[in-house]
Amino acid sequence: MTHGLWTLRVKVDGETIVDTDAELGYIHRGVEKICEDRDFTQITPYCDRLCYVSAMTWANSYIYAAEDLLEAEVPERAEFIRLISAELQRLASHLMWLGAFGPDIGSLTLMTWCMRDREMFLDLLQELGGSRMHYNYPRIGGVKRDIPVGFATRMIAKIKLFERRIEEYEMLLDESTIWLVRLQGVGYTKAEDMVEAGVSGPNVRAAGVNYDVRWAHPYSVYDQVDWEPAVEKPTSVKGADCYDRYRVRMEEMRQSSKMILDAIEKIPGGKNTNYSAGDEMIMTKAPTRAPEGATGFSNYECTRGASQFYIKGGGEGRGKNPYRLSIRSPMFITIPYVAKTMIGYKIADIPAIMGSFDPCIGETDR
Amino acid sequence: MRVTHEQSDSAAKSCVAVLNERFSGSGIKSTVEHHSNAFKMPFVRIHAEPQHWLAIAKFMKYDLFVNYCSMVTGTHFPDGPAERGWEVAYHMMRMPVSNVKPNTNTIHVAEKLSGNDIPLEFEVLIALQQGDTPTVPSIQSIWVGADWNEKETWDLVGINFEGHENMHRVLNPHDSPEQFHPLQKQHKLRYHGHNEMYDDPQGFGRKPADEGRNK
Repeated sequence: MTHGLWTLRVKVDGETIVDTDAELGYIHRGVEKICEDRDFTQITPYCDRLCYVSAMTWANSYIYAAEDLLEAEVPERAEFIRLISAELQRLASHLMWLGAFGPDIGSLTLMTWCMRDREMFLDLLQELGGSRMHYNYPRIGGVKRDIPVGFATRMIAKIKLFERRIEEYEMLLDESTIWLVRLQGVGYTKAEDMVEAGVSGPNVRAAGVNYDVRWAHPYSVYDQVDWEPAVEKPTSVKGADCYDRYRVRMEEMRQSSKMILDAIEKIPGGKNTNYSAGDEMIMTKAPTRAPEGATGFSNYECTRGASQFYIKGGGEGRGKNPYRLSIRSPMFITIPYVAKTMIGYKIADIPAIMGSFDPCIGETDR
Repeated sequence: MRVTHEQSDSAAKSCVAVLNERFSGSGIKSTVEHHSNAFKMPFVRIHAEPQHWLAIAKFMKYDLFVNYCSMVTGTHFPDGPAERGWEVAYHMMRMPVSNVKPNTNTIHVAEKLSGNDIPLEFEVLIALQQGDTPTVPSIQSIWVGADWNEKETWDLVGINFEGHENMHRVLNPHDSPEQFHPLQKQHKLRYHGHNEMYDDPQGFGRKPADEGRNK
């Protein structure tokens, strides 16, 4: 499996899975403990490294919690830049997922195609943050700097190219017999069961409900751009199968592209580089110390579901550091649930079922 | 499309009214609070005692339709007052999600949601006595999603969840010492023997991690 370090113990009867057990924690780094000794700006890079596939969304997720705690104001231009950066990251992350999912199913072509396209978005994100995978780009009260010179032009060209590439993927996959046979009718999950078990994000939307944190617990300027949550129509009473989960992510990539193209037109202050770093259109001054007893919470639509941060500020007279920082990773809850949904299917279906939920162990183990 | 402040506010207020009416005599406080970032969205905060927690949880699940237990956070306050040595914070969500018929889907329009369909956030804070065995009842039987959250909280913070089945280490190694829960405050971070990361920036004075131990 190409999804990181974890163990799945399977009890089988012949080829049929009878019971499963997930083992996690192989790359537990103690991020929550480390963060208790860092001040609020120093925590962002650690949050980048929670998930190496989707660093920008995790950093943003932390930033919204810190802003709730420190009561920072964010300029609207910065919110638009954050939205664009998060959606670019969502594209890169879904491409990484598709690239890893292909070899799970037996299509190695997909890996090379997806890595090729993902690199376009990693380049764009590198222009913003300066680094290829870990950007440290959002700041409490804004973003690090304005969009670079020519960024908008390059981004629009790449997104337009990518929109055609999505069609290419669909031509490659949607009519491929192997792809359909491996995915359709495998790994059924119902919407209510998933919510009950704590699963969220695209996996729930695949089961036919357009619940999305971006409108349900609004946080950025998603109400100002043109998009709709991606949602599937599952074909069975048993809920969504692996094919629905694949389809919903393809649709989500379309929506993200649409959103980015719309946001770059609507961005206040224009799509050129107009402001120096630290300008009040880019960043406002935020307090660095949290009042005693204050708490901050953010609910954020990460690429794999709802990622949440809960920060307790103050304590021990050192308001510079969080007293306790707690991270809710969507995959930590999802993986044990997925392990149980495999019961009744065959051993050969394990990669398809597991891969279709997009597991990422970096955020799971923290 | 997004849930508006008014929608959320009215939903939160009606939930608080129902909660306060149902649990008026038992010292449970429910209030509507607001986040302090951009949209100032409201949420319901409930302060409860551990002995009332199961009753509240069942009420939330079956009367307020809170169907999503997203997060369990334990915090250790060794220097806190006697009645608040530990705190468990639960974050719950209400989501308008239900099963769909084959070949159909549910498309919610945020502005048109009403009543129990409005997504809402709940925060339940349970303060526990000082001592070595902080204990709260487990809600694993009410929300399946609480299962691994509680495992994690026990593993990292050491809060005991009474009635939790199959409790085991999830992030720490399975052979970690008993009573070792790294997020308790008596465990301090160390950097190769230094208390502060920047005591020795060039690292000349660093010692091997196992110095002083019998090898």
